[in-house]
Amino acid sequence: MAVALGVLIFASAPAIAADQLIHYDSSNKAFWDHPPADWFMGDENTAQKGEDYRLTSGPATGISGDELAANLKKIKLPKHFHISVYADHVLSARQMAWGDKGTLFVGSFSLGVVYAITDHGGKREVKTILKGLTMPTGLAFRDGTLYVGDVSKILAYPDAENHLDQMPAPKVVYDDLPSYGPHGWKYLAFDAHGWVYTAIGPPCNECLPPTSTAQVRRINPATGQAEIVALGVRNSVGGDVDPRSGDYWFTENARDWLADDKPSDKLEHITRMGQHFGFPYCHQGDIPDPVYAMGHRCSEFSPPAALLGAHVAPLGMKFYTGKQFPRVYRNNIFIAEHGSWNRHSYKGGRIVRIVTDPQGKDLTQVVFAEGWIQGPTTYIGRPADLIVAKDGSLLVADDFSGAILQISYKK
Amino acid sequence: MRSADPARARILPAALRTLLGAIALAGTAVTPIAAAAADLAAGKAAAGACAVCHGANGVSAMTGVPSLAGQTDAFLEWQLVYFRSGARRSDAMDPVAAKLSDADIRNLGAWFASLSPPAPPAGALDGARMAAGVKVIEKYRCGSCHQRNFAGLDQAARIASQREDYLEKSLGDFKSGTRRGGGAAGAMPDVAFPMTHEEIGAVAYYLSRHP
Repeated sequence: MAVALGVLIFASAPAIAADQLIHYDSSNKAFWDHPPADWFMGDENTAQKGEDYRLTSGPATGISGDELAANLKKIKLPKHFHISVYADHVLSARQMAWGDKGTLFVGSFSLGVVYAITDHGGKREVKTILKGLTMPTGLAFRDGTLYVGDVSKILAYPDAENHLDQMPAPKVVYDDLPSYGPHGWKYLAFDAHGWVYTAIGPPCNECLPPTSTAQVRRINPATGQAEIVALGVRNSVGGDVDPRSGDYWFTENARDWLADDKPSDKLEHITRMGQHFGFPYCHQGDIPDPVYAMGHRCSEFSPPAALLGAHVAPLGMKFYTGKQFPRVYRNNIFIAEHGSWNRHSYKGGRIVRIVTDPQGKDLTQVVFAEGWIQGPTTYIGRPADLIVAKDGSLLVADDFSGAILQISYKK
Repeated sequence: MRSADPARARILPAALRTLLGAIALAGTAVTPIAAAAADLAAGKAAAGACAVCHGANGVSAMTGVPSLAGQTDAFLEWQLVYFRSGARRSDAMDPVAAKLSDADIRNLGAWFASLSPPAPPAGALDGARMAAGVKVIEKYRCGSCHQRNFAGLDQAARIASQREDYLEKSLGDFKSGTRRGGGAAGAMPDVAFPMTHEEIGAVAYYLSRHP
């Protein structure tokens, strides 16, 4: 009787089935394919999210023609700057890269495609040249080869500009990258020596990042060599090499769900290999994480080069190397701020101009272009990347409208 | 390690209210995303071809085929764009979507969104199965994107009153990795991956009967 009762009590204790356990074991493939869902959903809170949350993305078929032209009239720019449509029907447009022969390659996010935009005497043709990739947001071009970030690998398409109608089978030039989706999308930026910089985002909003994530690495596709250049980096989807110093600067999106006005997103400047920029312990240089600081102090980490504001979502950035804009713009940094997705009233959705010397001293920032946010939570466009055109104008990839815009200076 | 999210606690009473058949939750007032105007009449005409599988008035009577009536406009449009771009694959939909223009997609989205959602299946509710469904919904936070009344918003799909077998199929496809990619749905393979077959069954039973 006593034995039977004991069994009964044991059986009725809360039993957790083995398949109900959450695994954080990074030694198996399933962890890397599907990181624990509470890592990217678990920190949400109603105070920050609101009761009836809505996702932010543009109309599925983009904005084009007259409607896009009308929207651009609402964009405010400094005197003598003008904005126009470079190409529309470039749905989900993200990072841009120039081919040697003037082809503009454009990556995409959810559509999984890569576009090539060719110019035939001012008439531009948008061609989908690659399909079925996984969030190919980042791409770069060097010595005739197009490089595309396909989350877990970097693909190379040799002699790309001569094969726009039928792209060659890609070579995998780097595959030591995690396969997960959250923060798995890439941005690629070459330096003058053939290193391509990219970030490996952690698969969470805020967590102790799994080994080998939350880093910036540089990869040499010619040799297959790779190096860790920065640690403690959350989600970086933009960066460029300073033409003056050769240093890599990058944008970084700070953690979510703390508050509307903190922590600030950042601009970072790598001045020595292996610097740690604070994630997940410290945010914006002076906010220890309420849970994950775990005794660390912000003074242990490299301070940000600039605070850009909370929830502005800085993505693509470029040093201005053109000659069309006035001389004071030379070597300034332009940053495309994609704008908020979980702030009560959206911020960002603009292009910011950073003026700095190569050391990052005497740094100032001003808003260069704004007006893509109309009303508290209404976008009419979202800048995702920037690139300097041959004529010195600045192109803007707008993934909300699905368009490439052009900012020119003309007195 | 983390405090309980009040949003999770709120789902329960809402779901229970539905279970008791008391009140349907009020829909969310929404301002439409700026986009070129759709032509409803043209959408209705184009939708004729969809009826073969998706049913008259967008209410599917075919196993494994979703109802489209009352689905959110943005979700419908995005899925058609994903089929067209190759980001989402389906033997049935690929050839259809390949031929669609942007205007076709806008018109079809607006048309199906304008139709009344399917009525939940007739028959008595199994209270135990409904309660099991509520548990799964809380655990996986379905209401976090699909809204507390599961009517969806923008590109987050309406999942209420969808066909039970289709809900099971799509969660199974997300879980197995057969269906992946496509915007915010990039999160669904990770959400569905740890779900057990029993959990998928429970949530499909519940949502298909949620008005």
